[in-house]
Amino acid sequence: MSGEKTYVEDVNREFYDFRYEEHAGYKVASGLTEEIIRQISAEKKDPDWMLEFRLKSLEVFNRLKMPLWGPSIEGLNMDNIVTYVRPDTERMHASWDEVPADIKDTFERLGIPKSERESLAGVGAQYDSELVYHNVKKEVAEQGVVYTDIESALRGPYGEVIREHFMKLVPPEDHKFAALHGAVWSGGSFVYVPPGVSVEIPLQSYFRLNAPGAGQFEHTLIIVDEGADLHFIEGCSAPKYNVANLHAGCVELFVGKYAKLRYSTIENWSKNMYNLNTKRARVEEGGKIEWVSGSFGSHVSYLYPMSILAGEGAQCEFTGVTFAGAGQNLDTGCKIVHSAPKTTSHVNTRSISKSGGISTFRSAVVVGAKAAGSKSAVSCESLILDKESRSDTIPAMDVRTNLADVGHEAKIGRISDEAVYYLMSRGLSEEDAKALIVSGFAENVSRELPLEYAVEMNNLIRIEMKGAIG
Amino acid sequence: MSEHFLKIKELSAGVDGKEILHKIDLAVNAGETHVIMGPNGAGKSSLAGVLMGNPNYEVTGGTLEFKGEALDELSVNERAKRGIFLSFQNPVEVPGISLENFARSALESRTGEKIRIWNFRKDVQRALDALEMDRSYAERDLNVGFSGGEKKKAEVLQMLLLKPSLAILDETDSGLDVDAVRTVSRGVREFQKDREAALIIITHNAAILSSLRVDKVHILVDGRIVTSGGPELIGKIGREGFSDFEEKKA
Amino acid sequence: MKTIINKPIAETYGWLHAGGTAVDLPEEPAREVFSLAPGETKTVVRTDADLYVRYEAELPEGASLHFIEIKSADGPEKTHADIRAVCGKDAHFRWTRLLFDGQATYDNCSAELAGEGSSFTADIGYRLSSDHIYDVNCEAVHTGKRTGSRILSSGVLADEADKLLRGTIDFKSGCAGAVGNESEEVLLLSENIRNRSVPVILCDEEDVVGNHGASIGRPDENLLYYMESRGLRADEAVELLAAAKLAAVVNRIPDEKIREEIREKYL
Repeated sequence: MSGEKTYVEDVNREFYDFRYEEHAGYKVASGLTEEIIRQISAEKKDPDWMLEFRLKSLEVFNRLKMPLWGPSIEGLNMDNIVTYVRPDTERMHASWDEVPADIKDTFERLGIPKSERESLAGVGAQYDSELVYHNVKKEVAEQGVVYTDIESALRGPYGEVIREHFMKLVPPEDHKFAALHGAVWSGGSFVYVPPGVSVEIPLQSYFRLNAPGAGQFEHTLIIVDEGADLHFIEGCSAPKYNVANLHAGCVELFVGKYAKLRYSTIENWSKNMYNLNTKRARVEEGGKIEWVSGSFGSHVSYLYPMSILAGEGAQCEFTGVTFAGAGQNLDTGCKIVHSAPKTTSHVNTRSISKSGGISTFRSAVVVGAKAAGSKSAVSCESLILDKESRSDTIPAMDVRTNLADVGHEAKIGRISDEAVYYLMSRGLSEEDAKALIVSGFAENVSRELPLEYAVEMNNLIRIEMKGAIG
Repeated sequence: MSEHFLKIKELSAGVDGKEILHKIDLAVNAGETHVIMGPNGAGKSSLAGVLMGNPNYEVTGGTLEFKGEALDELSVNERAKRGIFLSFQNPVEVPGISLENFARSALESRTGEKIRIWNFRKDVQRALDALEMDRSYAERDLNVGFSGGEKKKAEVLQMLLLKPSLAILDETDSGLDVDAVRTVSRGVREFQKDREAALIIITHNAAILSSLRVDKVHILVDGRIVTSGGPELIGKIGREGFSDFEEKKA
Repeated sequence: MKTIINKPIAETYGWLHAGGTAVDLPEEPAREVFSLAPGETKTVVRTDADLYVRYEAELPEGASLHFIEIKSADGPEKTHADIRAVCGKDAHFRWTRLLFDGQATYDNCSAELAGEGSSFTADIGYRLSSDHIYDVNCEAVHTGKRTGSRILSSGVLADEADKLLRGTIDFKSGCAGAVGNESEEVLLLSENIRNRSVPVILCDEEDVVGNHGASIGRPDENLLYYMESRGLRADEAVELLAAAKLAAVVNRIPDEKIREEIREKYL
């Protein structure tokens, strides 16, 4: 920890805040009309049902009101958002060599090809709203695993499967931004793991936003069939811009009987981003969903991955960390619905607020009348690092059967002076000591991540804590 | 009373399909004190649990009889009503219910008769005195905030109040300092005064036994009774430990 | 007159929208104001109060008010109590709420801990049966330095009872050294109950400690085994545990005379 030279009050994000001149080939006019939706749909060569779906979603979007219960999103002007930006490149690239140099450089600086070569099964990296690079290693494909961009899958042999699942878990009626997503969604991944197949290495997708004022509406649809096993990693990092940016992605995960899916995310959007993402999983009998979630970026976040435990014995594990620094209002948590017997859920979250940042942990655990024999344990801890910051904990529990055990624990506090004193007595500076303590506090998440991601997350914490990279 | 009080024949039992006790034979007569010794993990506490009817254990073979009645089908509280008492290793905290009220409720439930508070309070005081416990323990919520030693004493106190005909002390001496062991054995001696009541003491430590009358000693290793004998076995274990018996089994 | 009570009945969290509950209320609440001299200690007991009562207390330095509110099983059908206390330096407000059933009970208790070193304890015990409703909002607002709050609740729900507890510890900026604790235990005795709990901690101050713990469900299996091993039938053991929930709240009443009176009359 000796590399940091100066303590910088403001968060120094230079490392992540590089970008290139925008030269998008095509851009729709700001604001949202039926005409724009038709334009997007035609450009994407949507099947007819998808155009209809988009138009219906637009209708719902116009009807629904903005949410009133979370952080303010007044700074978000929908008329200003360019919803669809396509990078100036052909749609898919079979090899790394064909990716345009500036885009390639951006990815290279984020280390994607390297990590892919080393350990990852495939990279579906989204540059603005299109998939520009996509590669699944042979052995994974040979197992019958489908990992592709969702748009080509829509027109391929899996078109019907997508139609059966697309926005069935997160219907456009869910909330205003789900409806927006339904209308303008673009890009994203489709993964299908056949019955009994265990994907040994994690699949990764790295999303980035580049164009100023661009919204990103990628859709991720993952189906893990009976007895199959998958780890999917979603990483997000976006450069900084002055115009308000919106991210309203949607993730739908279908976990089959006795299947297991781990969905890991490190979100590091630029600090002007409105991250209004919706993630949801449905878990069948004996299946398991594991969420690992790190939220570091964005100006405002509303993020509550939801798990519907639909089959007997279905399980959910949620592990999360949220770090809200200057200018950030991160409202994160999770929602779990126990709707079958003997389902279990474990939630373990940490949140950190610093330099005027606001973090809110919000959760809902619903144990329905049919969920006899279910168990739920929620534990959340919050650390507040200075006088300017704020941290709220709003957990809700709704239990409708006596044959359940529901537990909840919450703690809020500051870094212990004794711990800082102890580390300083061993030669660490106060800043180093605090950074180390905060890293340790977030250990619940970092220990669940693959090594390279854990390292990246600890780097992010150090940047936030110290303002420099060693 | 020539008939055995407690008769265990070829008892096998386990947890989650894994057998822990293998064909245990044990007969205890009224008024007798038996000691079961053995190394950690030998199955001593499992035997206690099976006798009490702990739902975690499953009896897979053999028979269990108490006063001529098969125990297998009896629920935990029915066994307690027949006079079986188990002193828990880790007594559970029962918030909101005082030790005294709890013991009285248990006694009323067993006898089906209302107990006069003032008479009962005298019994409680006598038992408290025997265990050198302050009156306040009887009024405090059962086991809540009790230290390890206090919990063990509270178990012996309940034994004295409930007056079972067969008491099983499961490691009641473990984790206690010398003074506490002395106090607990005084309580146990008080119980032994009832010549009709039988006692099974489970321990891996001879200290508590030094001042108690012991009739028989059984050595339990790997879920089997490998040796039974008189009190002289206690001294042997004290000197040599269990290694002899562990080899014997191998 | 139909009045919509926004607080405590309206939901204040985003997901479990239940909306406001419409209750027939008199236009104006009956009001009762407790006045204490500095340093004075007082215990007030109110049993089966009117439909709609507002209790107010402004506690000067060092004053200590213990307000005990009891609703007996055969008390009024519907009640709404609105309790507001403001605590001065080192003042203490204690609210003991005992609910021995009742068709519909709506409580709001809010304590502002303005004075340095002031404290608030809420101790809520309830036992509901049939299709009875208990909706309670309890908040400790910490504005003064080194203030303390404890919100304890323990209850039993049987039949089709429906309970909603929102307990909020609100650490305002400047309440350095404040400590807030919230704990909840709910024993569920029937499969048709509904229990909602929203234990909120709001924190706008660095130097505070806040804790919350909740345990909701059926009686613990180990506990039942232990009790049964002493000769109690399962249903007797459960009844004993249920009775203990309210007994525990009564036991914590500091005034011995009042405690014994309540014990004799209700337990």
